[in-house]
Amino acid sequence: MKTTRVVIAGVGGQGTLLATRLIAETAIKQGLQVRIGETYGMAQRGGPVMGHIQIGEAYSPQIRPGEADALLGFEIAEATRRGVTYLKQGGLAIVNSKKLPPVEVISGMRKYPEEGELVKLLKKVSSKVAVFDATKLAEKAGDPIATNMVMLGALAASGVLPFGQDEIMATMKESIPTRFLELNMKAFKLGAEALKKSKGLLTFLPRA
Amino acid sequence: MSNPVTMDKPGETVLLMGNEAIVRGALEAGIRIAASYPGTPASEIGNTLAEIAKETGIHFEWSTNEKVAFEVVYGASMCNQRGLVPMKHVGLNVALDIMEMAALRGVKGGLVFVSADDPSQHSSGQEQDQRWLAKQNCIPVLEPSDPQDAKDFTIHAFELSERHKQPVMLRTVTRVSHMRSNVKLGELKKLNREAKFDFEQFSYVVAGFDKMFYGREKEANEKIARMMAEFDSSPLNKLVMTGKEKVGVIATGQTYNYVMDALVKLGAKEKVAVLKLGTSNPLPEGPITKLLKGVNKILVTEEPDPFVELHVKALAKDANPKVELYGRIGGKLPAEGELMPYMVDGVIAEMLGQKPEGNPRAEVEKEAKDLIFGRMLTVCAGCPHRPSIYALKRAVKAVKGDIHKVVMNGDIGCYGLAWAPPMSYEDTYFCMGASLGVSQGMSQVGIDTIAWIGDGTFFHAAIPALMNAVQTKTNIKVVVADNGVTAMTGFQPNPQSGKMATGEATKSVSIEAIAKAVGVEHVEVTDAYDTKATEAAFKRMLKTEGVAMVISRRICATEAIRQMRPKRPVPYEVDESKCVGCKLCLTTFGCPGLNFDEDKKKASIDPTICMGCGVCAQVCNVGCIHRRDE
Repeated sequence: MKTTRVVIAGVGGQGTLLATRLIAETAIKQGLQVRIGETYGMAQRGGPVMGHIQIGEAYSPQIRPGEADALLGFEIAEATRRGVTYLKQGGLAIVNSKKLPPVEVISGMRKYPEEGELVKLLKKVSSKVAVFDATKLAEKAGDPIATNMVMLGALAASGVLPFGQDEIMATMKESIPTRFLELNMKAFKLGAEALKKSKGLLTFLPRA
Repeated sequence: MSNPVTMDKPGETVLLMGNEAIVRGALEAGIRIAASYPGTPASEIGNTLAEIAKETGIHFEWSTNEKVAFEVVYGASMCNQRGLVPMKHVGLNVALDIMEMAALRGVKGGLVFVSADDPSQHSSGQEQDQRWLAKQNCIPVLEPSDPQDAKDFTIHAFELSERHKQPVMLRTVTRVSHMRSNVKLGELKKLNREAKFDFEQFSYVVAGFDKMFYGREKEANEKIARMMAEFDSSPLNKLVMTGKEKVGVIATGQTYNYVMDALVKLGAKEKVAVLKLGTSNPLPEGPITKLLKGVNKILVTEEPDPFVELHVKALAKDANPKVELYGRIGGKLPAEGELMPYMVDGVIAEMLGQKPEGNPRAEVEKEAKDLIFGRMLTVCAGCPHRPSIYALKRAVKAVKGDIHKVVMNGDIGCYGLAWAPPMSYEDTYFCMGASLGVSQGMSQVGIDTIAWIGDGTFFHAAIPALMNAVQTKTNIKVVVADNGVTAMTGFQPNPQSGKMATGEATKSVSIEAIAKAVGVEHVEVTDAYDTKATEAAFKRMLKTEGVAMVISRRICATEAIRQMRPKRPVPYEVDESKCVGCKLCLTTFGCPGLNFDEDKKKASIDPTICMGCGVCAQVCNVGCIHRRDE
């Protein structure tokens, strides 16, 4: 089996770790080998966070530059920063257009780059870039905190992973407390729909 | 879903983080006790123990500091119980005194301590390689490469510890501590040993003072010699060699993963002999000598120091003086920091006479670096430390005229981020509790100071320094940034939390009562969210001669939200008709929930980030910020 490699990028507090874990647990239930490397710094919230997921043969918890099949970017600047390093030529970038300005921007030391500039840079490594407002969809599902499930739903619908939406939803049912489950499921499905609707993107995808 | 760490299903494969796998290993080894102090990258070991302690019937505690934790577990070891002491690498510096004594006096019940090292200091002030401390003290070091190893090596560590009556260091690096992967479970074990202090081994009276006290180094050296012989055939070390290879690699701990990935990538599995090294102290000289004799070129991969490589270089003098040594000493790999996959790819390619590829993305990465900010660390939205720093800065300016008239000595914890803009108010921070000590030295030579310390750090290491200031009549000002939890490492309780690691209620230790008891006469407590009152308290402190303390108190905002879930606080908003676009809230306070709309030239608040503390409304000069429901 070919190894599947996904990089997840975001900001501390966005729930990237839960999304990563749900993918990994689903993989293990399918009898697959999985390796996850997580980088989070000192801050509880607001710092850059990155997860590397490899399903199939892989030793290192770190993906090499230019070898990720997909990038799941929870915040557009973090997505671009990691995407240019890790996403392979022709790999799929799923990007939340949400901007979380860091303290440099808030205090006026730096400007937050325009969305267009960021996407242009990301497209230098791959033309398959789907940008959508996942946080807005999470709000629609009931709480912006469920942005992570919107993103997970989009990845599940992309066909990049060696399993589909049903398998991940089964893991969600086991892992997420009942009182939060409905919200998370709703967000997950909205994310899956959003990806399918991404303009022109479906034609690039290996499996629908 | 049941916790996989306590799942009683031997043979089942589950997803575990390296740190969780260590706990599983300890349960399969039948531990009776564990004690720790939180610190990244080790914290999840203690968090997991706290979660499972009641269910498994073991004692787990978040001790006041690492030295206390080690002593607690050592006490139980002398009574024939197995125990685990997890800590971050610099925690071992704090526990060093007792670690050295345990290595000299020996142990009874297996004692395993974890040093979770942090090469490239992802979350530490230094990347100190703690294997040197183990070597210095005749302590064996086991280095797992992944979560499965982490579990299995923990069990080996307990057996090794009891077999040789010596404490054992299980040494991880951040990439192992935080790696998640498949782990095949073994059998959970309960030893049910009777607790019995071993007088023959440990009592001065029974064993005899001379035997206990003198000549212990000789015994420790003999233990290490016996372990070295044992490690030659240990399953923790695996040599894969046909004898035809010209190139060899000694791959220590986690770096084994990089080596194996490189061999797959380079298609060179048959061309390179690999020793997967799990015991970095004492080194298994047998397989290393065999490898050295068989190849022309040898690479040692390890993080961060050339600890193994130095010894390999010495062994090569007799085994194969002509062997070419690749690694950190010769400059083929950097002298410090963690390794990256591309570095190992490159050096092995070079050894095989292939062209190293380098980083294919260097150019576009540079463009991204120019375009995108670095995302500096700062305290969270709603964090009570931000208004404390804000008020402190204003008070110092008002009383002293200039913030640089006072040296602001910070300490270790979230509040250590006080240096970050736009607050930018902290000159130094070193190690747990040091703010009080260095402030006293500065004060003794005539420099005004503030010691800026958190509640957890105060209990951990600052109380002796506070007593020192009182005894020496030193003029220091102490601000305790008290958010009620050890927040940076994940909200663990500390002595004032009123609860133990397991959540069980206990007495709360009062910081102000301690300060008063040791003789601090000026002690005030203020609410960090009330910036005016806090500023006034700081001013009074600055004008007081001698030791003066303000405790700026408010529960950690992230912890507060955890406690109120699933409810969320009511966020604040900006009344655009009143906002004059002065950016005062952004440039002097800079909460991550604030932003500026460049088109409208108005401040705004992101309701998904806002914690509803309302401090920005106090900062605003024109009164344009209010609660959404008001």
